[in-house]
Amino acid sequence: MAAPKPVGIRLERKKDASLLNWNLKRLHPPEKICVPLRQGSRPCVRVGEQVRIGQRIGEPENPEEATVHASISGTVTEIAAAPDAMGGMSVRVVIQKSTEPKLAPGVWEIRKGWEQIPAGELEAAFQCAGLVTTDLSAEPVHSKIKRHAAASTLVVNCCEPEPYVTCEQTLLLSHPVEVLKGAELLRKALGAEKILLAFETCNFEIGELLKSKIFFLKWTHAEARAVPSLYPQGTERLLLQNWFPGEKEKAVVFPASTAFAAYEAVAHQKPFYERLVTVGGECVVEPRSLWLPLGISFQDAIHACKGVMREPERVVMNGPMAGIAQADLNVPVTAGTAAVLALPKEITKKGPEEPCIRCNLCVNKCPAGISPVMITLAADHQELETAGIFGAAACIECGNCGYVCPSQRPMLEKIRTAKKKLGISGTKPAGAHHG
Amino acid sequence: MAENGKTFSATPAPYIHSADTVAKRCWGQLAALMPVIFAAGFFGKTEFLHVLLLSLISAVAFELLGAKLFGKKDKLHHGEAILIAVLMAILMPPGCPSEAILLANFLAVFIAKEFFGGMGEYLFHPVLFARVFLHASFPGMTAEPLVLHGSFWVLTAVGIGGLILVRQKQGYWETPFLYITLCSFCTFALGRWGNDPGNFFSGVLLTAFFLLADPVAMPLTRRGTRLFVAGAALLSALLSPRGFSMAAAGFSILLMNLLTPWLDVWLRPRPSAAEGLVNAGGQS
Repeated sequence: MAAPKPVGIRLERKKDASLLNWNLKRLHPPEKICVPLRQGSRPCVRVGEQVRIGQRIGEPENPEEATVHASISGTVTEIAAAPDAMGGMSVRVVIQKSTEPKLAPGVWEIRKGWEQIPAGELEAAFQCAGLVTTDLSAEPVHSKIKRHAAASTLVVNCCEPEPYVTCEQTLLLSHPVEVLKGAELLRKALGAEKILLAFETCNFEIGELLKSKIFFLKWTHAEARAVPSLYPQGTERLLLQNWFPGEKEKAVVFPASTAFAAYEAVAHQKPFYERLVTVGGECVVEPRSLWLPLGISFQDAIHACKGVMREPERVVMNGPMAGIAQADLNVPVTAGTAAVLALPKEITKKGPEEPCIRCNLCVNKCPAGISPVMITLAADHQELETAGIFGAAACIECGNCGYVCPSQRPMLEKIRTAKKKLGISGTKPAGAHHG
Repeated sequence: MAENGKTFSATPAPYIHSADTVAKRCWGQLAALMPVIFAAGFFGKTEFLHVLLLSLISAVAFELLGAKLFGKKDKLHHGEAILIAVLMAILMPPGCPSEAILLANFLAVFIAKEFFGGMGEYLFHPVLFARVFLHASFPGMTAEPLVLHGSFWVLTAVGIGGLILVRQKQGYWETPFLYITLCSFCTFALGRWGNDPGNFFSGVLLTAFFLLADPVAMPLTRRGTRLFVAGAALLSALLSPRGFSMAAAGFSILLMNLLTPWLDVWLRPRPSAAEGLVNAGGQS
């Protein structure tokens, strides 16, 4: 079966501003962080207890789940439930900063002979580090590996089709070899044969960099392959669909930043307590990608980039196409937070909703090949069965239909509601993984 | 910066938008019609100006009346009523009485558009609906449009207007292409070329660019639109007795409008054919 022609939108990428400050840095630890515990895990620290960076603070009840680690050192002041950025509630461990940052024993120590580590020990190392995938699903890496035991290809996703977001690109430009080594560790753990690195055609410098590093590493099992830079090409689902049509179980996709975290977890014995986040948007004074401890609030993340120069209209987690706008900036940064964007009025402005003029644009720009217009019109008239016939279940929630709609109809919202009523779980389960 | 506790509006994604709007589309079509209006004004002189003015005033009046009667906010700023009025003026035959123009705009704006539910909801192209209705009801309305009695210059004006419209990329490029080629080919094959190719081509171009530019009553997929256009082109060639007949073209488009709901269901995109995604609702 021939792969379908890639469908998408050539968006204005708006990445230059945050790429200007592409030296990665870490912050002075914030006064207070609230590390959200994962669903089904219980805190293993008490209020008043001193914790160190990298210390385990959440234990899963289910071994398939991941542990949670402290991202700053200090005193646990509170353990309580609070809203998170996905719209759900989760239990949070609040840590007040102490004067001296202290590492937990064993953290950031080179593991001896890590390059020869047998495949069987890798999964345990990932589990011990509490490693989760750095996308919205935030699935524990060891259980994702177990779930894809049959995969023969590891796809490392270096694409960032969303505007503004540059964390993967910055990471790849700074640490291409480490990403490759992390990918090799993941491949070993999976028992896969091949590594495919997906990069966008417009980021050819990343492609060339990866190719040259692969050449010098003398790897014959790795290959960097281009994806057209059309939003949302380069997302996990479409990579699998286009590169492995009909045999999706043969491949597994990990983001490049997860590969880097895997390298750190194995080589440096570093638990997964921080991630690279792009803080950007036109309102932020110094947009950049930087290492943020998990659990830092969006407010502090924006402050770390020198605050905002004008009042944002929306503050969005992840990209402006498929991200989630936040009402409250006290929500914490989690493993799935690739970006915190403060967007001004002129970017987010939207006219009033008009009736559909059946212009065909949403149908033509739908990467899932469904008919968003029919689904939404049917949903408006409560005809859910028709919505199902026109492919509501296949929607990947990329937001293209809402972007192109000349009538400014809230297409994605309507389709999500229809999916919910039809009993189809979303591709982005709101609040499904934490609380 | 927002102090702690300040809340933002958390609307659903996407948070950016292409600059495309309905109003832009209508005014864009009107801009593309300007050369045709100039040519028509040049050749039709005061008669065309009279028709245009009356058409504009009545269309706006009926739009406002419709908004009042159906309790909606009027959508004059979208320019849809004005677009209807201009197209109507262009399609009117020479020497038509003022009442006919008023009736035509009443039929187009009030009956075919507002009565069917307003913008985006109508089943038939409002202008063609009114024009074909008049053609069928009044013997004086059967003549070809005033504009098409022009010459090479009218043809050029329609061509330039069409190119402006194609450049705006409102619809598919193949819509006018298919219509022009199929309609000319079939007319030629049937030996009904007539003795005025200038007239024939201005009519075909006008239909292809401007009467097939309204997507509301057309299918929702590219394949469906192609079929729609091909059907309209063939029917219009078959129904025209000699050369190009605006009534035949209008009637064929209305007939295809009627088939559109079936085309939409029949040629719907089928994601199940690609990847069996339908059953893969959740995480994959």
